[in-house]
Amino acid sequence: MKMRVTLVAATVCLLSVAVAAQDPPKPFVEARGSVKPVPLPRGGPPPRMADGKVDLSGVWFPGPTGKANAWSVVPDERVKEDPVPFQQWAADKIKSMSRTEIELLGNANVQCLPPGTPGMMTENPYVHQIITKPGQFVHLIENNNRWRVVHTDGRPHKPKEEQEPLFNGDMVGRWEGDTLVIDTVSIDERTWIRDAWFHSADLHVIERFRRPSVNYLEHQFTIEDPKVLTKPWTSAWRTYTLSANDEDLTENFCTNNEQVEQFKKLLEVESGGKK
Amino acid sequence: MKSSVLMFCALVLLAAAPARAHHAFAAEFDAKNCADVTGVLTKVAYENPHAYLFMDVKGSGGQTEQATFQLSSTSNLRRGGATPAVLNASLNKEVLIRGCGSRNGEKNRYAASFIKLADGTVQRLGQDVEGIFGTKVWR
Repeated sequence: MKMRVTLVAATVCLLSVAVAAQDPPKPFVEARGSVKPVPLPRGGPPPRMADGKVDLSGVWFPGPTGKANAWSVVPDERVKEDPVPFQQWAADKIKSMSRTEIELLGNANVQCLPPGTPGMMTENPYVHQIITKPGQFVHLIENNNRWRVVHTDGRPHKPKEEQEPLFNGDMVGRWEGDTLVIDTVSIDERTWIRDAWFHSADLHVIERFRRPSVNYLEHQFTIEDPKVLTKPWTSAWRTYTLSANDEDLTENFCTNNEQVEQFKKLLEVESGGKK
Repeated sequence: MKSSVLMFCALVLLAAAPARAHHAFAAEFDAKNCADVTGVLTKVAYENPHAYLFMDVKGSGGQTEQATFQLSSTSNLRRGGATPAVLNASLNKEVLIRGCGSRNGEKNRYAASFIKLADGTVQRLGQDVEGIFGTKVWR
């Protein structure tokens, strides 16, 4: 009997996971300003720079539509990835935190702090503008008007003794065929990878950008963090699409952040006034 | 044995979790405490990380109270059509907002998913706590 209950529980669990993974598209709420979820065509081959490398330049929206997906009926992209191989102490620490504590400690957007690397990609639903030229990658990030400029000529990192913790870290770039690889170390521990995933000062992030066709940009990252993970972990490739309406980035400064105080109040309520 | 199955379920769900978006508002507001709120729109604060709308509502004793509605960011609102001009056109007029109450107990503080403006048009405001985008036609 006990075994049967267990089997039923396991089946229900697996079915619910399967259903969650397959959420069918739902009917659309008809409200002015909504976005119809039409994926962009692939377009022709990607443009190339004078040195023959792929030109990644463009205004890029997360997702397949070339528009702001926050207003689309298309659910957030569901991608298959291996579980993150946390060391036991790290898994225990994550498990011990409440949702509210995670928001307060780990969500850079709640704090109006820079989300860092790779948070500028993983914790950012907004638009990116990339400008590449031979030897240089310029990345303009709409979320809080941020930016990074990376040399892509294969130069090494600064000597260890000259490195200092930075939100975006010490970044260098190189081309591997048609893939731009950005290698980052010395990342401020206040940045988290995504959601409840914190990191150590030894974090090493390897990002890869590729543009398989005119309208599509893809991004992947590998995390090496021997103090937190049992082995390196690599994300799935995530899709970005060229602005369908030739949009510009908009101004987006964080000037009126009420979230920290609100979450602190919530934490107090949840802890019965003890925090 | 049962606990190991539960642990397995938790691990499977955790593995699936990173694919889901990380929305702070889902933690801040209560999906089970949502209502259509009617009142006079008194102020539009078009700022980041969230814009806010302020509304005069009638309290249970008939007195006027101020309600605060948290919206998405200015970037999302602009791209979705709820520009400052569109929202400001309803200032000092009656509007209807779909809001979910704050989980920290602060009275009259909501996250807003939709507004029916004074001219009868509907705009999405972004903070879809209860997951109604794409599930039904609101108003």
